[in-house]
Amino acid sequence: MTSLATLLQYIPYMLEGLIWTFTLVSGGLLLGFTIGLPLALAEVYGGEYTRTLVKCYIWFFRGVPLLVLLFLFYWGVFPSLGLKLAPLSTSIIVLGLRSGAYQSEIFRSAIQAIGEGQILAAEALGMNRLQAILYIVIPQILRIAIPAWSNEYAIILKDSAICFTLGVAEILTRARYVVITTGVALIPYLIAGVSLMILTYFGVKVLDRIYSRVKIPGLGVSLP
Amino acid sequence: MKNSDIVLRAVDLYKSYGTVKAIDGVSLEVTRGETKVIVGPNGAGKSTLLKCLNLLIKPDKGRIWLEDVEITNSKTDICKIRQKIGFVFQEFNLFNHLIVLDNVMIGLTKVKKLSKEEAFKRAQEVLELVGVERSLWKRYPAQISGGQKQRVAIARALAMDPIIMLYDEPTSALDPQFVGEILEIIKMLSRNGLTSLIVTHEMGFAREVADEILFMYRGRILEKGPPTQILARPKYEATKRFFKEINRLYGAGG
Repeated sequence: MTSLATLLQYIPYMLEGLIWTFTLVSGGLLLGFTIGLPLALAEVYGGEYTRTLVKCYIWFFRGVPLLVLLFLFYWGVFPSLGLKLAPLSTSIIVLGLRSGAYQSEIFRSAIQAIGEGQILAAEALGMNRLQAILYIVIPQILRIAIPAWSNEYAIILKDSAICFTLGVAEILTRARYVVITTGVALIPYLIAGVSLMILTYFGVKVLDRIYSRVKIPGLGVSLP
Repeated sequence: MKNSDIVLRAVDLYKSYGTVKAIDGVSLEVTRGETKVIVGPNGAGKSTLLKCLNLLIKPDKGRIWLEDVEITNSKTDICKIRQKIGFVFQEFNLFNHLIVLDNVMIGLTKVKKLSKEEAFKRAQEVLELVGVERSLWKRYPAQISGGQKQRVAIARALAMDPIIMLYDEPTSALDPQFVGEILEIIKMLSRNGLTSLIVTHEMGFAREVADEILFMYRGRILEKGPPTQILARPKYEATKRFFKEINRLYGAGG
């Protein structure tokens, strides 16, 4: 039986994994945002052809399990394109592509919540579509979408643990290593779980705080 | 051009939604300084017609001119044209994320490319003209009453210096206590010589403000004439029925 002291030794090593977790999450969210926002705009304002393409993208990345996506891209797609990507880069890209699908759904419903009237008003003033989107739509959806977006943060944070399958040195990978080395499972996995929970909690709190600061006064978009 | 005092002219407009003919061959002219009022039952195509006039809705057929520029010509820059056509919506359609002042200024800074100072000066003028109190200028649309919202919406349109104003049922979404004040503002602007085309159900107002009333029915302009004539001696049974109904609903048009 391994002593508690031995386990304690591993704690800094495990917590270092949170840096990798954080990299996965922020990289995935950022890439997802860059993909999701244009996709949502294309889906709402684009022609029929564009709309179908966007729908296909969304269904693919929402429909295929994350684990399958990771294997598919790491061993399938990237190698066949002649790309040699590290597990970390692959994981960020896959998390990002997938989050892009989910984020586009978030932004799409935010666009629909604004309604058509304000776009008509912008166009009646002489703005073109692009100006209306830039000055009227985007500033509003970025605010409206925050509550749903914070949910996406919580989801992608937890999903990032699956990247252990590619050997990314995030917290679960490290916990598993400690379990194998020491033969004790309870404490390392508990530490991994609780630290992800704490990250979820603080991230969501921070986004709540941001939301209450930037939300449009008087407009009741209530938190779920 | 010989018709230099005609501000807006539409010839033979058609618009269908599926099998429903929303506009079924409408022609109209609005002369400089004139105020025309369009009345008619719900579903007659009044709103659709108004939105066709600045191409917020694209008509299937027909041509429209603003002064001597044909706006239905595909080479015409419609954004340039729309700057000159003030449009006031039934539902106000203020920009929710902008304070009152910015709602009025955004068209000036982003479309007309005025400097902040010039835009502010102009916004100040029009907000004062339509009677939006200074204490409300920093409020967001969701924080002011319906009557104030419609004032701001009118100010936003006026700020662009339009040569014609189109009002699409500007008081239909208002609580009754605000209707009178908004109609007063529209009347004041019209009396000051601002060319206007107004869709409304307020017959008393129409009688006071209109140089001509157009009665629209099933996508067509069934009859038109000066208020005294069309209200007192309507030619068609549909017109008579409409006025009777509207009197029952809104009172005798006081």
